[in-house]
Amino acid sequence: MTQTAPSAVRFHGVVKTFGTVRALDRIDLDIRRGETVALLGRNGAGKSTTIGLLLGLDEPDAGEVRLFGQAPERAVRAGLAGAMLQEGQPIPRVTVRELVAFVGSTYPRPMPAAEALALAGLTEFADRRVDRLSGGQAQRVRFAVAIAGAPALLVLDEPTAALDVEARRAFWDAMRAYAARGNTVLFSTHYMEEADDNADRIVVVDQGRVVADGPGERIKRAAGGSLVSFDLAGGPSAGLAALPGVVAVEVRGDRARLRTDDPDATVVELARLGAVRGLEVAPASLEDAFLSLTSTVTPTSTATSVRESETV
Amino acid sequence: MPGYILLEIRRTFRDASFVVFGIGMPVLMYLLFTNIGSGDGDSAEWKTASMVGMAAYGALGASLGTGMGVAADKTAGWLRQLRVTPLAPSRVVTGRAVSGSATVLPAIAAVLAAGAFVNGVRLDAWQWAALTVLLWAGALPFTLLGLGNGYRLGPQAMGVVNTACLMGLAVIGGLWFPLSAFPGWLASIAAYTPAHRFADLGWAVSHGSAPGLGTVSVLGAWLLAFGSYAVVSYRRSARTV
Repeated sequence: MTQTAPSAVRFHGVVKTFGTVRALDRIDLDIRRGETVALLGRNGAGKSTTIGLLLGLDEPDAGEVRLFGQAPERAVRAGLAGAMLQEGQPIPRVTVRELVAFVGSTYPRPMPAAEALALAGLTEFADRRVDRLSGGQAQRVRFAVAIAGAPALLVLDEPTAALDVEARRAFWDAMRAYAARGNTVLFSTHYMEEADDNADRIVVVDQGRVVADGPGERIKRAAGGSLVSFDLAGGPSAGLAALPGVVAVEVRGDRARLRTDDPDATVVELARLGAVRGLEVAPASLEDAFLSLTSTVTPTSTATSVRESETV
Repeated sequence: MPGYILLEIRRTFRDASFVVFGIGMPVLMYLLFTNIGSGDGDSAEWKTASMVGMAAYGALGASLGTGMGVAADKTAGWLRQLRVTPLAPSRVVTGRAVSGSATVLPAIAAVLAAGAFVNGVRLDAWQWAALTVLLWAGALPFTLLGLGNGYRLGPQAMGVVNTACLMGLAVIGGLWFPLSAFPGWLASIAAYTPAHRFADLGWAVSHGSAPGLGTVSVLGAWLLAFGSYAVVSYRRSARTV
């Protein structure tokens, strides 16, 4: 049965342009049912465009988008998707309970409004008017609205953008509780750490393309696991890219920073060369990994351009 | 869809400015226009005609006001949020037209009540009923005009356009002052404006007759025109909403 069940989300060669800007450039994506996937990318990478196409708010110029094997608009009409969109402001003159109950009522098999409110942590605000809540509370309302219909696919477009640390934690707890019921969740973020903490799988998009796709661990490894840095002390920076394990080289002033997937081998070789002044080994931060994945130049050309700038 | 209609009706009546300006204003204007400086003989006639005119004006304001709500909802992202629920877009528009129509009723009822209880206007029971129903149904073209504006414009532009539509249609339609006070050329144009024909539904009833075929067909043409405008505007906004 699971073999024949269509994917929750499927993008095949999807292209979308706005004027001269190619927002999505042949995106392929396959999300299985029950997966929690993070769509990671910086602003303008194509995350919101992807979500817009996914929900049938927009049409692709080329390629195909399928939700549970159907056209997105049909799947949305069938109540298979719920979404928390970006830039939603509180809707004036309606109470939290009224709003959540109404949205639920448009779905074929909604969860009881009280349950959606409890999941979103809104029980005590149920009779307040939506436009009289704080920013964090309003964000929870948008989450409750997204899950009110008990959709099989929950889509969250940068859901924690306006939240403080504590509210974020509460939000992700609620999201995971919903995912744990066997639902598929897709959320977008530009924080690597959020993606790593809350998703089974991270899809990194940049300039309208998928540049990496896999579990958080693998993404981090692909981006170069560790950072080895040392003082050049006037020594040459040429050839550093060829050291064992090194995937990228960056020179800042007199200090060389090597991204490496085998820090031991890199350090041993540096020691052999005597280039150990101020040597430090640190795990690549998640943000580093992200930047390296989405940098527009490939690792080798980075090394090349560094050498060139040295000789100029 | 009934859930959606109910939600939007609730939201409209919680809007204090709608209640004050949408319902209170026409009543106030009616009482002012009919009780200040009108000592002449046919004041009973004027009190009835003005009652119909102001009820029509109130209905006009409330129906156009639906568009204000739509423009605000568009900005807040509510229309976009509705598009990711199973509610079909055509149902959203229809639901909004129905809820808009429903909010027209109190404005009509309030002016008619002021006519009956304050100004002592006497009509047969069937006339009161027909007046209410006709003015209510006849407001549909204006609800569609309001929706068309709302889907097309942002809230700020909407405020200006709405006021212009309301004032323009009300004045030229003879809802505030009778057409007989207009210069001849203007009066002949005014006779074909939607608001005039709308009020004419009520004036005919208050004279004890059914609305003329001319009035019904002119109003029908405007219904078609504003309806198409609303549909075109919605389609356009759907691309960006």
